Amino acid sequence: MFELFKQKAEAINAEVHYFNSKAEAIDFIKDLIAKNTQGTSTKEVVWHESPFLDGVDKDSLLKEVPQIEFNIDQNSASSAKIGINEVDYGIAETGSIVEISDSIFKRLCSILPEIHIAILPLNRIEPTLEEVMKKIPISKIPYMTIISGPSRTADIERVLTIGVHGPERLLILVVDNL
Amino acid sequence: MIKEEIKRALQNANLAGALTRFSEAYSVSRRKAYEGLDFEEIRDKIASLKAYVAENLNEIIDTFIKSAQENGAKVFYTTKPDEVRKYIIDLAKKNNVKSIVKSKSMATEEIHLNKYLREEGIEVNETDLGEWIIQLAGQRPSHMVLPAIHLTRYDVSEVFTKKVEPIEPDISKMVKFARKHLRRKFLAADMGITGANIAVAETGTLLIFTNEGNARLTMALPKIHVAVVGVEKLVAKFEDIFPIIRALPRSATAQLITSYISFVNKPYTHFDGSQKEFHIILFDNNRSAMAKDPNFKQTFQCIRCASCLNVCPVFRLIGGHVFGKVYTGGIGTILTAWTEGLKASKDIQGLCIQCGNCVKVCPGKIDIPGLILEIRKRLAKEEGLNFKTKVIYSIVNNRKLFHSILKAASKFQKPIEKEGFIRHLPFFLSDLTEGRSLPAISDVPFRDRFKKIIQPKFDKKVIFFAGCLIDFAYPEIGEALVKLLNSAGIEVLFPIEQTCCGAPARYSGVMDVAANNAKQNIEALLTTEADYVISACPTCTVALKKQFTKDLLEQNFNEELIKKAEVLAKKVKDASELINKLIREDKIKFKSTPQESFTYHDPCHLIRSLGIYKEPRESLISAGLNLVEMFESDTCCGMGGSYSLKFPEISKTILKRKLENIKKTEVKLVCTDCPGCVMQIRGGVDKEGLSLQVRHSIEILAERLKKG
Ligand code: SF4
Ligand code: SF4
Repeated sequence: MFELFKQKAEAINAEVHYFNSKAEAIDFIKDLIAKNTQGTSTKEVVWHESPFLDGVDKDSLLKEVPQIEFNIDQNSASSAKIGINEVDYGIAETGSIVEISDSIFKRLCSILPEIHIAILPLNRIEPTLEEVMKKIPISKIPYMTIISGPSRTADIERVLTIGVHGPERLLILVVDNL
Repeated sequence: MIKEEIKRALQNANLAGALTRFSEAYSVSRRKAYEGLDFEEIRDKIASLKAYVAENLNEIIDTFIKSAQENGAKVFYTTKPDEVRKYIIDLAKKNNVKSIVKSKSMATEEIHLNKYLREEGIEVNETDLGEWIIQLAGQRPSHMVLPAIHLTRYDVSEVFTKKVEPIEPDISKMVKFARKHLRRKFLAADMGITGANIAVAETGTLLIFTNEGNARLTMALPKIHVAVVGVEKLVAKFEDIFPIIRALPRSATAQLITSYISFVNKPYTHFDGSQKEFHIILFDNNRSAMAKDPNFKQTFQCIRCASCLNVCPVFRLIGGHVFGKVYTGGIGTILTAWTEGLKASKDIQGLCIQCGNCVKVCPGKIDIPGLILEIRKRLAKEEGLNFKTKVIYSIVNNRKLFHSILKAASKFQKPIEKEGFIRHLPFFLSDLTEGRSLPAISDVPFRDRFKKIIQPKFDKKVIFFAGCLIDFAYPEIGEALVKLLNSAGIEVLFPIEQTCCGAPARYSGVMDVAANNAKQNIEALLTTEADYVISACPTCTVALKKQFTKDLLEQNFNEELIKKAEVLAKKVKDASELINKLIREDKIKFKSTPQESFTYHDPCHLIRSLGIYKEPRESLISAGLNLVEMFESDTCCGMGGSYSLKFPEISKTILKRKLENIKKTEVKLVCTDCPGCVMQIRGGVDKEGLSLQVRHSIEILAERLKKG
């Protein structure tokens, strides 16, 4: 199922990476931040806390990567280049991710920055949209988005252009053994 | 007025070029997007779940209101456009709203909301890139899904440069430019207005599809979110969303899924710590009247994917600024008739050539041409017909007079015969009165020629219904058919009282005349016993098989006649189908002739109303011909009966494309199974001086019959 998910997601311009452990995923994130930020002085990364961070020493992470901001508000999110959050499901048939947001801050991470890093536990990938929806108590959640690839438009001469109002890069980090 | 608009649109190479390229690419990519899925099954589901909404509208509206209120949304239901505007303006004033961001919403365009907001001194910014361009340019969208498809990158750069700041005509730079400028608007806005693609009554959930992500920003950043939702967006159950989610992106843009599908349920705490305000305006504007109308309730099955525009041979030439109002194309015409009133659709409804191309792709299974015809009928009834048209139709209803005029016409048309073609016979009368091109009416019509063909006596008998075109313009097609049938051991009968099938009147909405034609033909055709009634003109076949009963019912004819119409309908077969059957049964045999290549044009009525397309190809191939398919073989040739008289420029342009596709096959023979298509395509071939034969398949088959 992961293979199908990856293939479908890449077909719609998402970048999919697989990690055997949390530590591997964090190393990847650190590296990505280093490559995509100006320096260490500004908070260019907003990271919405989630179970993924359980057991991670955030203080030492912040020392190592001071670009990260865990306190999200409109200002930090709109000036950040990278937004990181943990999403709730993956849909293999379309390569989509499902982001349930009871908090607006989780959502801001995937709306405002140019790069969205979505952490997806491997065991959360389901074959179809119908299967995913069986697991979600829709009437209990305030807001949910099915995200399929980066933001795109074809409004000028029908030329497909990636990255309009939303992220121009979507990286899905599929993590096993969480 | 509309004539001038058409001319201008046809001369606009950008528009027609962009739309046509899109339309051609769309058909291919749409098919690919649906690969592995059963489109018929999906659209059956959508049609039935949405039809259920139309049937139970009030109840479903109530359920939605209740669920959404339980979720904490403020819901306002209204039938009136001005109440929607007032609600939003009052809300804006109460909250001291200075600036609004909007994501695409047809419902707000329908009520011209932006204009009213601006008049109140409130800044409004559309945020969908296409809509923003259109807003800055001061235009209206030309397409329901691709609002700015009529503009080139140069046009866009000009608009941006003039209205915002200078930018070069580079698409990716202009997209970044839009991101930068609109981001500021998003961050400063006090209110966000969206539409919705689906509203689920069971849970009070709104679903919003976007690719750009602008709806997400519109909903997330301002403190107040207002969703303006037409009641046709309702579905009863949550599970109803699945077939729509499968179909909408595939049909709209040939995507498997859009980048974002947002599910909005409840208001949450805003990022400044205050409570988010979430308003849903359920908007009716005559839609509940539509839901009650036995014909138009179908429009509730529309999911606004615009695929009907993408495949429409007329739309792709003239675009939505001419073919449509707020809503564009065929479905737009229908929605206009209800949201703006029947009269508003008067000019645009005529633009539909009734080819049925849209029906085959509509995920809501809506009979768009059928509904447009219904509008035509209602307009004809409401406005009455002018004197000339009345005279023409009264002649058509008087067979003897009509036929003697046709015969007389053949006498004095000679000198300019080459120039003229009869577009649709009864209308040739109107032509005659205007002194325009004279049709090539045959010296001796089929009805007189038939008398001279000695019919062998066989047990098997068929009645031949010739229709005006074969009878009076192409009697040789009739003769060829008789030859084929006789060779298969079938006797042909030709009841002389038969007359025009009523199509010209029917497709102009003049139903009493059409029904009278039906009556005369039923009586004429049921006088003798026969196994089948066959026609070699698919428009006539459809009339006999499908329309007569409907017309008579509608015009309140007696039950006895309606029963007869049903008996007749069961006996009717298109010649292409019967001949194919006889070939398969080895009753028709061909001599061996040198291999010749042909291409085949599918007549609209044959392929889409009767579902026949394999049979004629197979017949021709078994007569020793070699098929080279043309691109878009089933796209209309532009004839459309009287359409080619009403909109000659459109008809000609459609024909030109057909000829281009024919030329590309490099064959010298075009076969088709409709005398109307023969007339149209042959007319084009003559005009361009091409060395191409355009023949009815029946003639080609008859020429290749094995002797004895
Ligand atoms: S009428 Fe059918 S094809 Fe046209 S927009 Fe509606 S659903 Fe789509
Ligand atoms: S029937 Fe043909 S001309 Fe009419 S709206 Fe449909 S596609 Fe267009």
